[in-house]
Amino acid sequence: MSERRPYTRPIDEDWWKKPPYLSYTARELSGIAVTIYGGVLFTGLFSLWRGPESYNAFLRFLQSPLSLLLNLLLLAVVVYHVVTWFQTLPKTMPKMIVDGKQVPAAKITQIATLAAGGSSLLLILLTMWVAR
Amino acid sequence: MSEAATLTKTVELRILRYLPASDESPSFRSFQVPYSDDMSVLQALQTIKDTLDATLSFRWSCRMAVCGSCGMMINGEPRLACNTFLRNLPPGPVTVEALKNFPIERDLVVSVGDFVKKIESIYPYIIPKEPKTVAQGTYLQTPAQLAAYESFSDCINCMLCYAACPQFGENPDFIGPGAMALLQRYNGDSRDGGQQKRLDAIAGEDGVWSCTAVGICSEVCPKHVDPANAINQNKTNSAFDFFLHYLRKDAAQ
Ligand code: SF4
Ligand code: FES
Repeated sequence: MSERRPYTRPIDEDWWKKPPYLSYTARELSGIAVTIYGGVLFTGLFSLWRGPESYNAFLRFLQSPLSLLLNLLLLAVVVYHVVTWFQTLPKTMPKMIVDGKQVPAAKITQIATLAAGGSSLLLILLTMWVAR
Repeated sequence: MSEAATLTKTVELRILRYLPASDESPSFRSFQVPYSDDMSVLQALQTIKDTLDATLSFRWSCRMAVCGSCGMMINGEPRLACNTFLRNLPPGPVTVEALKNFPIERDLVVSVGDFVKKIESIYPYIIPKEPKTVAQGTYLQTPAQLAAYESFSDCINCMLCYAACPQFGENPDFIGPGAMALLQRYNGDSRDGGQQKRLDAIAGEDGVWSCTAVGICSEVCPKHVDPANAINQNKTNSAFDFFLHYLRKDAAQ
């Protein structure tokens, strides 16, 4: 007679709070900062549509110390999101084969991070040139 | 016996034990094992079975990280017992438990039936694009075509990636990293023509879409198979397939 009685352990509901999963949780949560950034941009567009008065109020808010602090915080979190996302990137794309060999994950991360940094810098320079 | 007596240093193993005939639920038991520098966790378990408690159950075969049968949680991490050396673990007791996210059959032995069914479900063999007779010769492949799937063919079915996957923990029907690595091993093969069949098998919540790119499966894989990559590139394939299937001629069924 079989004595089989497989035992199923309870699921650990708190897995996302513990290493090594904590870094995943932080990466996903930092995505919220990207949404907030988008929200700020849309608020700007919306106030532009409503007229000069509304737009000036929006600009004044942007210049307030509270908004500067918030933006600094958002920037830090978004940079974290970008860096960790590009570390994940090689896991999400088809293998790149060059000269019959697989391109190492670290190389892909490096190129993507540099490209993101480079295009951000270009955008800043362009904005400064347009606004000069 | 005399050899063991000359070894003075010992190490404590805290093992999660479960004997279905007598235990209501699993509980820890400690064993002191003579320590030597070159000892793997598997050897420590074998020493316990040989000299201290013959009822201890665990799976093993090759002792060289090839067969994939000795996966277990060692100090909370999914690892191969034959590939984990006591000298590399932090001092103090070593905790050994059955592989997480799987039902325990007995002690360190888990149920593998569902995993085997998942592997069977993804057509784990080459379905030739154009069948050839022996007289027509072999199928040729360039080094680049080999590199496209080669790492996925290194999987030893050890299921460590499943123990590391919180989404599999929450949804045992999720096809999971190991089976997806095997799927990509065939889908990525230039000789294979079975992509559509396999994509149909993995669409939906229990297919690729349970994955949220946690990525720890790839970190614990002892063979550097990168199963997270296999899953995530098939999310793209599965999404394309979802839209393209309206255009396919055979979409009627
Ligand atoms: S992908 Fe790696 S961890 Fe998962 S079953 Fe295969 S060899 Fe084991
Ligand atoms: S005994 Fe074969 S992988 Fe460990």
